[in-house]
Amino acid sequence: MILFDNVTKRYPLGNIALQNASFEIKDHEYVFLVGASGAGKTTILKLLMREMLPTEGTVTINDLEISSPQFKTIETLRRSIGMIFQDFKVLPDKNVFENIAVSLKIMNATKTRIKDDLAEALSLVGLSEKSLMFPAQLSAGELQRVAIARAIVGDRDIILADEPTGNLDPKTTWEIMKIFKKLEGKKTIIIATHNTDVVNSLKKRVIILEQGKIIKDIKKGGYDL
Amino acid sequence: MNDILTSIRRTPYQSLAAFLVLFFTLFLSMVLFVSISFLQGLLQYVDTRPQVTAYFQVKTPESEIFKVRDELTASKKVLSLEYVSKQKAYEIYKSLNKDNPLLLEMVSSDILPPSLEIYALQPEYLPQIAEYLKKQPSVEEVNFQKDIIDRLLTLTQILRTTSSVFFAYLLLMGIIVLTATSMFKIALKRDEIELMRLLGATAWYIRKPFLMEGAFLGFLAATFSFGLLFGILMYLNTFLTSYLHGIPNLSLSIMSLSLVVWPLNPLFMGITFAIAAVFGIGIAAIANLLATEKYLK
Repeated sequence: MILFDNVTKRYPLGNIALQNASFEIKDHEYVFLVGASGAGKTTILKLLMREMLPTEGTVTINDLEISSPQFKTIETLRRSIGMIFQDFKVLPDKNVFENIAVSLKIMNATKTRIKDDLAEALSLVGLSEKSLMFPAQLSAGELQRVAIARAIVGDRDIILADEPTGNLDPKTTWEIMKIFKKLEGKKTIIIATHNTDVVNSLKKRVIILEQGKIIKDIKKGGYDL
Repeated sequence: MNDILTSIRRTPYQSLAAFLVLFFTLFLSMVLFVSISFLQGLLQYVDTRPQVTAYFQVKTPESEIFKVRDELTASKKVLSLEYVSKQKAYEIYKSLNKDNPLLLEMVSSDILPPSLEIYALQPEYLPQIAEYLKKQPSVEEVNFQKDIIDRLLTLTQILRTTSSVFFAYLLLMGIIVLTATSMFKIALKRDEIELMRLLGATAWYIRKPFLMEGAFLGFLAATFSFGLLFGILMYLNTFLTSYLHGIPNLSLSIMSLSLVVWPLNPLFMGITFAIAAVFGIGIAAIANLLATEKYLK
């Protein structure tokens, strides 16, 4: 379970990225974070990845207060979270297989496990036939599939996606959302997006942010700003 | 190993720069090490030679030589003293020139002078002993080694001090240049490192490939620089053999062990290579640690 309790993130120059944000996300829940650029969506994801610490309040994952300065097992935390980026962050000098395998290698997984888990992940994202291709040979949609596969291998419990369809055309966007649909109920999924169509169609929980504040938290909502 | 070779292939100029810096650092360090070892061996060899040798006239009766010997012994200034008869001198001559029958044919024991080899109790007694011997009418020549020892000692000390300073400079320069090269390599992999950190890689996991590559280049540089040094020593072997003619071997006393440095022996060369390898790997590892530490912070 993820718990934000009165979390405020203020940058040194005084601008506020998040203000008194409080919410709870249960295990295997599917949540959209929506809002305009600068609303605080990415800040929430970065706080969950512990890329930054809140100025006030606490962030807790599975009863562990990860916002505490005393929290030292950052690597262990990050190994339980799969992160998907708008710009994919796929390594250009590694092929599809190697790009996804990075996620398992850092966990010191055996070769057999890497092979088995990758076969499953590649099948899930529909890239089984392209495992030996390099990023330059793939389309944007395929690159995002690689990023999703990399995020889900290794039994990661939480999937965070920061504008995963931001660079994709509508058709590819829906193909990517289908992959997330396959993961629904198996992992906690938090997607930061401002894609109205996707949010309105899927009718999942939506947390709406505006200028760092949570203005709505709708159980089966839509993008209603 | 494949990852190391791939990384070298993808950044060939940085790898070559790192290799060359390590190569020259290790080569110059090994040249200094071998030179100091030879000089130290020479010093120890000279130190084991008689400090004063008195050569008597060929026809001096033994009784007269023994009289001088007894007087020296009674003076309480002598630690030990050895009488080398004409016959013994001839035996020594034969063993030194066993490969040259012409020289053996030309010399017999009759023309070799008997001698006394003297070790002083204290170095300051040496001039007095030499002076006493020079005054003896039957003494033809007095060889006094103090000057040679002093010169060798001074030379060794100068070389040792210069080498220490030079070695420290090489070490520092090597580490700085390699750190800069490694930082450049790390910068090229910035995206990969950032991604790995977000995926949960530990600092050690991120450092490991850089350290392994550094260690590989360090070992490679040690092997090549050792190969070059060995080649030079083999090339100079004939010259050194004739230059050090008469000296059966040069050795270093390390604790209670004696390590032969000349003639070239596998143990000494093995130790030289091992030291070079340890330094090569060490310098590369330190440089990569510094570079990754700075980046990971």
